[in-house]
Amino acid sequence: MKHVIGRLGYMLIVLIVSSIAVFYAIRLSGGDATAAALPGSATEEFRQEFRASIGLDRPIYLQYFAYISKVLRGDPGRSITNNASLIEMLKKHGKNSLILGGAAFALVFLIGIPLGILASLRRNSWADHGIMSFSVIGMAIPNFWLALLAVWLFASTFQLLPAAGCCSPKQLILPAIVLAFEGIALTVRMTRSAMIENQNNDFVRTLRAGGLSEWRVTGKHVLRNALIPIISLAGLRIGQIVGYALIVEQIFSWPGIGQALVTAVLRRDYPVAQFFSLILVVLVVLGNWLADTGYTLANPRLRRSK
Amino acid sequence: MNQTVHDELIAIRDLQISIQSEGSFFEVVKGVSLSIRTNEIVCLVGESGCGKSITALSVMGLLPADVARVTGGEILYRGQNLLGLKSRDMRRLRSDEISMIFQDPITSLDPVFTIGSLLQEVIQSHRKVSRSEAEKLAVRALEEAQLPDASKRMKSYPHELSGGMRQRVMIALATALNPSVLIADEPTTALDVTVQAQILESLRRRQRELKMGMLLITHDLAVVAAVADRVAVMYSGEIVEEASVNDLFDNPKHPYTQGLMGAIPDITARRGLLHAIPGRVPPPQVPPPGCEFAPRCSYSIGPCWEKRPALLPTSVGKLRCINPQPFSR
Amino acid sequence: MILNKLNTPENTTSTHAVAWEKQLIAYEESLRANPWQKQLQSITHNKMLLTGVVLGLIVLGLAILGPVFYDADYARQSLRNAHKPPLFEGYLLGTDGYGRDMAIRLFIGFRVSLLVAAAVTALSLFIGVILGMIGGYLGGSTDRVVRSSTDFIWGFPLILVAVLLVGGLGEGLFPVIMAVGIVNVAAITRVVRGEVVGLKEKEFVEAARAAGVSSYRIMWRHLLPNVLAPALIMASYLIAVAIIAEAALSFIGLGAQPPLPSLGKMIADGRGFLRINHWEATIPGIGIVVLVLAVSMIGDGLRDHFDPRLRHERGRKKNK
Repeated sequence: MKHVIGRLGYMLIVLIVSSIAVFYAIRLSGGDATAAALPGSATEEFRQEFRASIGLDRPIYLQYFAYISKVLRGDPGRSITNNASLIEMLKKHGKNSLILGGAAFALVFLIGIPLGILASLRRNSWADHGIMSFSVIGMAIPNFWLALLAVWLFASTFQLLPAAGCCSPKQLILPAIVLAFEGIALTVRMTRSAMIENQNNDFVRTLRAGGLSEWRVTGKHVLRNALIPIISLAGLRIGQIVGYALIVEQIFSWPGIGQALVTAVLRRDYPVAQFFSLILVVLVVLGNWLADTGYTLANPRLRRSK
Repeated sequence: MNQTVHDELIAIRDLQISIQSEGSFFEVVKGVSLSIRTNEIVCLVGESGCGKSITALSVMGLLPADVARVTGGEILYRGQNLLGLKSRDMRRLRSDEISMIFQDPITSLDPVFTIGSLLQEVIQSHRKVSRSEAEKLAVRALEEAQLPDASKRMKSYPHELSGGMRQRVMIALATALNPSVLIADEPTTALDVTVQAQILESLRRRQRELKMGMLLITHDLAVVAAVADRVAVMYSGEIVEEASVNDLFDNPKHPYTQGLMGAIPDITARRGLLHAIPGRVPPPQVPPPGCEFAPRCSYSIGPCWEKRPALLPTSVGKLRCINPQPFSR
Repeated sequence: MILNKLNTPENTTSTHAVAWEKQLIAYEESLRANPWQKQLQSITHNKMLLTGVVLGLIVLGLAILGPVFYDADYARQSLRNAHKPPLFEGYLLGTDGYGRDMAIRLFIGFRVSLLVAAAVTALSLFIGVILGMIGGYLGGSTDRVVRSSTDFIWGFPLILVAVLLVGGLGEGLFPVIMAVGIVNVAAITRVVRGEVVGLKEKEFVEAARAAGVSSYRIMWRHLLPNVLAPALIMASYLIAVAIIAEAALSFIGLGAQPPLPSLGKMIADGRGFLRINHWEATIPGIGIVVLVLAVSMIGDGLRDHFDPRLRHERGRKKNK
């Protein structure tokens, strides 16, 4: 229990540091917020007033505290470009991102783990070599290129699936697969090696001597042990998906947080860029924390302090 | 010592096993014959690599199929050849009639399951009992293996127990279903010396309670002296001598056995070098043409190199040597 | 040292004994023979690894030497010859939207990717090893700082960092190297720190300490050689990561500026013309895949060579 609280505390510190980093990065990236919001004909005094109204004239650390308190109170502000409420944007874009991310996350494990198990059970067979080759190549394919190819092949050439947009299941298929691709390749590899490693463990011999069937030994005991590292890395998968989502959402015009963030940065829409970066960072930190907790929970050896 | 007739439970007859190394197969068990009888502890002694563990594994049918192969002989359990059994039938026998415990309890228990659930699983895969029934049986097995706080320990994980306790869990696992045969492969080698004696005592007690035939594999003569009824000495893949424990220690006949006995440091002697047996075990890739021990034997003569001596009965047991000499300490 | 001499006089005349002893000597010689032979044997044993390494070397060779044999100007534009498929009038791999020769751009792109990846990895290796050793060896609060910062960077999505840097540092290779480099440093530091913490407990360090060797010396002479192997293994993996990262960033628009070709940028350029001449986008993509595969196969080969070697030996000792 103490361990969990410790991790929570650590996570909070990381959150704070991350948010500061994000805040500074945006602020420091220069440019003038006013350029995006106000027409070029606005006078300098007007711009100054505008800046003051947003709070850009105060020292940075004060701005930071002010900002954080606003966010925590539930009012992160509004977009400069279209004056939409950020909370509303979060709800809309967040939902979309969750759907996409969730689908990709599920795919990673629903496809990756069974394939990995299959490969480990039929070592050195054609199936094994095939699956492993797929995994190795899969890890080498840049996902933005994969996205382009997928769109080109399935959308324009074969006309099987839509190329862009949201939010029907059909439109979800391509971006989710592209997003999950590298994760699947990695999971296959990890599952296979974890299974093989555990199959050679001594406890397997003891279980067989106990008269348990091969199905039981492999399917229950070996698998459970092999899943430990995989579960622990599931949280890291979240971070990876968040990162890749930025590109994938852009390519498939999937209106999620990533896409909104990229657009905002390009348009110098600070409030949006800041808030959504913060959200993403929170997600990643949460993911890492989950990974840590998950590993501790899954591995009984770490559960109780010795 | 028991005067009653001991039934032969396991009869290993002329067992030959080969192991794969760098592409080809080499014989590592070269025609081993041995019996395990009811209510008797047979010790299989030999140095590391002589093939004793492999022999034991083959009785249980647990040889790793990709590297080891039985190339000849038979293993009879109550008359039935285990080598020809279908895997399902062999599985039924394991733990129920023939059991095995292993050397390294730290890695030998699945770390993600409680010992209670492990026991229950083994019990339930052989007996049609409810979960609570199995639980009761499990606790009883742990108690009979003399694990303290048995019912509380059911919920413990293997890493929470000490080495000695883990080995008791192994004993419980192996004897919960009252098997007739128990094979113990170096059960105390990985334990502290103080714990060794306790575990051996628990093992012996359990054996006597269930009147099991026990095959205890070890390289430690002290263990042999402590618990054995009968001893079989193994060298380089074959049995070279067999006798009752007293006869073996009083009057070892085979030169190798004599070497083992002579190698025991004598506490009463003041000085003198430790007697080691010169030379090394011949690699299975280059077996000697005659007796396996000839290259290291002080009594070897010409004919020792020509033909492999047979394991012949003696007044007190068996011996594989054509030129034995009396033993002098 | 094979056998001790046989004791009884009769043995020396037994022909069987003599013959057998000869056999034994021959066998033991074969075991000890030529370590290079054994290493080569173990490499060639694993066929998949061998094909990987060979392929890897071929690709690397092409990448580095390609432009030497294929002499063309990667910046020369030609509207007339734009959007041509491979094998069109002497253009080996066709042309892109500006009529530039795809083949030479591919080769130069390889070089750029490799250079960036190598630079990033070399830098992060250097910094990472130092940080890792300091943190791991000194322990205490230094270690905690090192560890928390690496954990923090580790989880941070690279893309986010890069996107944020777009506004900040502008375009060009520098921010790319920074972003990728930081993450790589974290990875190497982690590995090195872990190794050092493990090694710190070993006797030879205690011995050196007891002899009064300074911390600096200990780190340099004793820890560094042991730490280099796992660090290099991690580095070989990170080169592959760096290649993809650089491609991703140049796809977005950061990184190498035109006319210097960058594989990611080439894909971005070719993106709009998939229907006209898909080669413009597919070729650089395949190039990336092949390059990454080559690098990771070589890395895998190195790893398998040094690592499971130890694992196998450990396993052998245990089973017997």
